[in-house]
Amino acid sequence: MPTPLSPEPKAGKTLKMSTHTETARQAARRPLANLFPLTSNPIGRRYVLIGLQVAITVALLATWEFGAQAGWINRFLFASPSMVWDVLVDRALSGELLEDVWTTSVETLVGYIVGAIGGSLIGLGLWYSRFISDLSAPFIAALGSIPVLAVAPMTIIWFGTGILAKVMIVAFSCIVVSLTTSYKGAMRTDEDLINLMRSFNAKRSAIFLKLVVPAAMPWVFSGLKLCVGFSLVGAIVGEYITSQSGVGHMILLGSSNFSMNIVLAGIAVVMVMMLVFNALITLLERFILSWERK
Amino acid sequence: MAHALEAISISKTYQSSDGPNTVLRNMSFRAEKDEFFAFVGPSGCGKSTLFNIITGLLAPDTGSIVVDGSETTGRVSEKIGYVLQKDLLFPWRTVEDNIILGLEIKGVSKREARAMASDILKDYKMSGYERKLPGELSGGMRQRVALMRTMVTDPQIILIDESYKALDYPLKIELEGELLDRVKGSGKTVIFITHDIEEAVTLADRVYVMKARPGEIVEEIKIDLGTDSHNIPERRMSPHFNEYYTRIWKRIGGAHAAVA
Repeated sequence: MPTPLSPEPKAGKTLKMSTHTETARQAARRPLANLFPLTSNPIGRRYVLIGLQVAITVALLATWEFGAQAGWINRFLFASPSMVWDVLVDRALSGELLEDVWTTSVETLVGYIVGAIGGSLIGLGLWYSRFISDLSAPFIAALGSIPVLAVAPMTIIWFGTGILAKVMIVAFSCIVVSLTTSYKGAMRTDEDLINLMRSFNAKRSAIFLKLVVPAAMPWVFSGLKLCVGFSLVGAIVGEYITSQSGVGHMILLGSSNFSMNIVLAGIAVVMVMMLVFNALITLLERFILSWERK
Repeated sequence: MAHALEAISISKTYQSSDGPNTVLRNMSFRAEKDEFFAFVGPSGCGKSTLFNIITGLLAPDTGSIVVDGSETTGRVSEKIGYVLQKDLLFPWRTVEDNIILGLEIKGVSKREARAMASDILKDYKMSGYERKLPGELSGGMRQRVALMRTMVTDPQIILIDESYKALDYPLKIELEGELLDRVKGSGKTVIFITHDIEEAVTLADRVYVMKARPGEIVEEIKIDLGTDSHNIPERRMSPHFNEYYTRIWKRIGGAHAAVA
């Protein structure tokens, strides 16, 4: 699931001083630091955290596996890590896994470009006309209040059972969020900076391209990041309605056959896809907003 | 010969929920080439409104602004450049790209603009900072870059809004001295809008004392510190400094008792 809806871009500067500014003495006062002497050192602390996180994951999986083998966890309802792993290996070898991931990725990516990128562009463009943005505000709000799940069946009727319908569902699930966050960002452009541009006799188009767009980028990206989650959800919802392939298809098929191992394997794949997509957008953000960290 | 700048009976009233609020009333003043003059007044004297009217970003209700003989009321004149208290640098642009912003908008070729930026950076002793981002500079350097961005477009009139208020005292003195070095004798007109009386007396050849609510000119004072030095502490040591200071102080205090 996407992170909680928080369109505020992170406050650039304050982020820098996190754990690293803590003095050794302050750290030593905390009980955890006394248990794990390494935690007083920022780098050591990082490794301790990662080590503990890995250990917890392994312990959970091991308990699950052991419980399933020993019989006190119902394998019909909960499967087991090894069963899930077997499904993943089988499907990877047969090529089904790649096909499903590919289908869902294409739907997500194309829908994301249309919805999230398109929505951001429209949102920024609305800066141009206060009149059009005021005029369209209630319609955009109305559009944003429709749950994706509610329009999905209709989308199938309009755009067929193929990839286009899923792309449309994904686009629909992104467009309002990206549009409103980027519009808000554009409208927050510092009035003094706009006046400075005007004092140079800048045309509206120059003010837009040289000032409003770059100034709104932190907002645009906070919208784009929210949309990564929405778009993957949209693709899977679309596949639940009708599909021949895709990770949503795999999960649906698994659950209709009461094969929990397939369902859970599908969920694991979705998690990995989400991580990868999020990492990609974060990389892009770091590249484009590198000035924010200075 | 035309005045560098002439304002004739400027008035501005805003409509607020409490009724009309007159911010500026019947302001007339003029400035010549190679003159450094200041408006000094308490808060509420309509400084930013006056600023925006002079630059042409805002139109007055009545009156007109004439720059070098041609009327520019409510229109941005290329002959006026300004520097604000906030440096207003674009954080995503490098120092060099910030400096050439105005040139870029005026359509100067990128190569020519960069050459001009490099020259002015050398002049301000900031060569080597071309590729830095504003976030990597100190407050004083950022103000210098903001001044360079204005100066590189070669405006005839430079309007300065308390630009050094946010800086610490020694830096402020240093930058004020630099400013005098750069503009005195350059043929440019500098207009300083401030509520810092010391700053006004130290820097200006002439001071317009304003009162608040509505903003009005109550007195015009010619300043002669009896020194040509651009050294700020030296200027302040002038025997006349306190005389001017007290005179303006009383004038402002008399016009607006709330200022303490």
